[in-house]
Amino acid sequence: MVREKAENFKANDGPIQKWSYVVVLCIIFLLFAFPLLKPPAYFLSLLFTVFMYIALTESWNIMGGYAGYISLGHVTFFSIGAYTTAVFMNRLGVSPFATAIPGGFVAAMVAALVGIFLLKIRGAYFVISTFLLAVVTHLVFMNWNFVGSSSGLWFKLLPVSIEVNRIIFYEVMLLLAILITLVARWVEKSKFGVGLVAIREDEDVAQSVGIHAPKLKLLAFILSAFLAGIVGGIYGYYMSYIHPDTTFDINISLLILLMAFFGGCRTWIGPLLGATILSSANQVFVTFIGAEISRIFYGLLLMVVIIFMPDGMIEHIKNSRVVKKWVAE
Amino acid sequence: MSATHIIQSLISGLLLGAIYALLAVGFSLAWGTMKVMNISHAAFAVLGAYIAYWLFVLGKIDPLFSLPLVVLVLFILGGVVYRLFIRPITKAREPLMASMVVTFGLAIVVENLMSYFWRPDPRILKPPYTGSSLFIGEIAVSQGPLIGFVLAAIAITLLYFFLRNTYTGKAVQATWQNPIGAALVGVNTERVSLITFGLSIASAGVAGVAMSFIYAFYPPVQMIWTLFVFLVTIVGGVGSLIGTAAAGLVIGFVIGISAAFLPFIWVNVLLFGLLLLILLFRPSGLFQA
Repeated sequence: MVREKAENFKANDGPIQKWSYVVVLCIIFLLFAFPLLKPPAYFLSLLFTVFMYIALTESWNIMGGYAGYISLGHVTFFSIGAYTTAVFMNRLGVSPFATAIPGGFVAAMVAALVGIFLLKIRGAYFVISTFLLAVVTHLVFMNWNFVGSSSGLWFKLLPVSIEVNRIIFYEVMLLLAILITLVARWVEKSKFGVGLVAIREDEDVAQSVGIHAPKLKLLAFILSAFLAGIVGGIYGYYMSYIHPDTTFDINISLLILLMAFFGGCRTWIGPLLGATILSSANQVFVTFIGAEISRIFYGLLLMVVIIFMPDGMIEHIKNSRVVKKWVAE
Repeated sequence: MSATHIIQSLISGLLLGAIYALLAVGFSLAWGTMKVMNISHAAFAVLGAYIAYWLFVLGKIDPLFSLPLVVLVLFILGGVVYRLFIRPITKAREPLMASMVVTFGLAIVVENLMSYFWRPDPRILKPPYTGSSLFIGEIAVSQGPLIGFVLAAIAITLLYFFLRNTYTGKAVQATWQNPIGAALVGVNTERVSLITFGLSIASAGVAGVAMSFIYAFYPPVQMIWTLFVFLVTIVGGVGSLIGTAAAGLVIGFVIGISAAFLPFIWVNVLLFGLLLLILLFRPSGLFQA
């Protein structure tokens, strides 16, 4: 089956594929160069958030999409990353750009610790237990004085003007989003990813054909948490103030889930598409209409997506006649 | 730490536990019978509390008298939710997961509709009789939780006898034991599912009213109530009515004991930590063989 898949990739490497590489590289180049146009700071913050959700959704998808273990605990690892960098900066004076990666490591360590236990639980019970993980860590951080408990933590600002500050964070998050998307893409096409998909389709059968399911799941969980931790570190520094109520907000986990489901969580393109469309829409809605209406819209969308296109937008598009015709030509 | 203090804490824990049992019983029923996990359950409980609250504040109707209306409204709403959102996904590959994600969306919609129209300020139902306390010797029992407890006990008993002794109740049981068999002997399984779901949401509404006698409520509180729903359901064993009732009391006992010794916030950490342990070691609940 694996070989068949590999041949499929080769066969797909036609002219369309080559052109799409060029187009993607151009888009990436334009995005990196965008701050040179001196756009208003608002656009940079908007895009920063979009990139952040792309990074988070792609990292979530390694566990939630490929392995089918839907975790609502992603926000925990994200927040642990943010808090680790804040503590490093406040206590040791290290720059968060340097400690975002250790932040990822701490998140990965926590993931390894809880993963050993939680990953024995399957299906709906797994979702409940990760939901609990998010709530319990939120409560613990609210009452843990070492990390500022309910008064939160401040970051020292970069010694540059606000515009330069925004540009730096924009570029860093863009880079991070691209790297994490590439990691997700690599996982999807690797043997590791094929194993995860087998676990999603039927864990017992996967194990009986020699896939070491517990090890693969744990690795995927750790990788997913590691990436989320790094994103959290940069996010905390960007916000310059973190508080358990904003960083541990379970709604972040729900948004990630919605974005992945909306785009389609079987491929790396789905989360990219879902996160781009929905986080831009979210920003616009929150700014112009209000947070409540935006969340109502989100909830309805989540329901519509599950009921009418359970495989996500990307599968829906692929199966539509127009695209099939276009690809055939 | 006097003995009276501990006993008092224990009693209020047990009263609260019974209300949590009522909050969870409909959820457990829908999960066990229809294989539908309704995350929006607690959001409808909050909605029930709001209906009683507005009838009391605007219409001066006592919450105990408006209760039948709350039940009726939520029963109908439950039926509508079933038809619109639940039935289309019962044919999905994994109906439990699909229903979970769909009702997550529904919970967000219901919560934010309430926030939008009624603002997220905390509110509390204050009919004249909930303020005072009964005294048994030196032990004070506040009447709010006591009335909530009585409501919960009555509602759970009614549900129990409905399932055991009426034709529709028996049809509900038959459908969950063997849907095809039930359909073969002439049970309209579609109608049974609709009634089960309506009852489930209606029981949530009663629980919401009972909760509002004790705690302030506001739309986002549904997330915390949802956690208690999970807690009670899993401790009691999914789908078991008696198990759920017993689990409510056990959890009330744990809350009562730990609240006497721990700061309030750590009580929740302890409870949810315990739930994680149960999920790991006894996911079928404490009371099932």
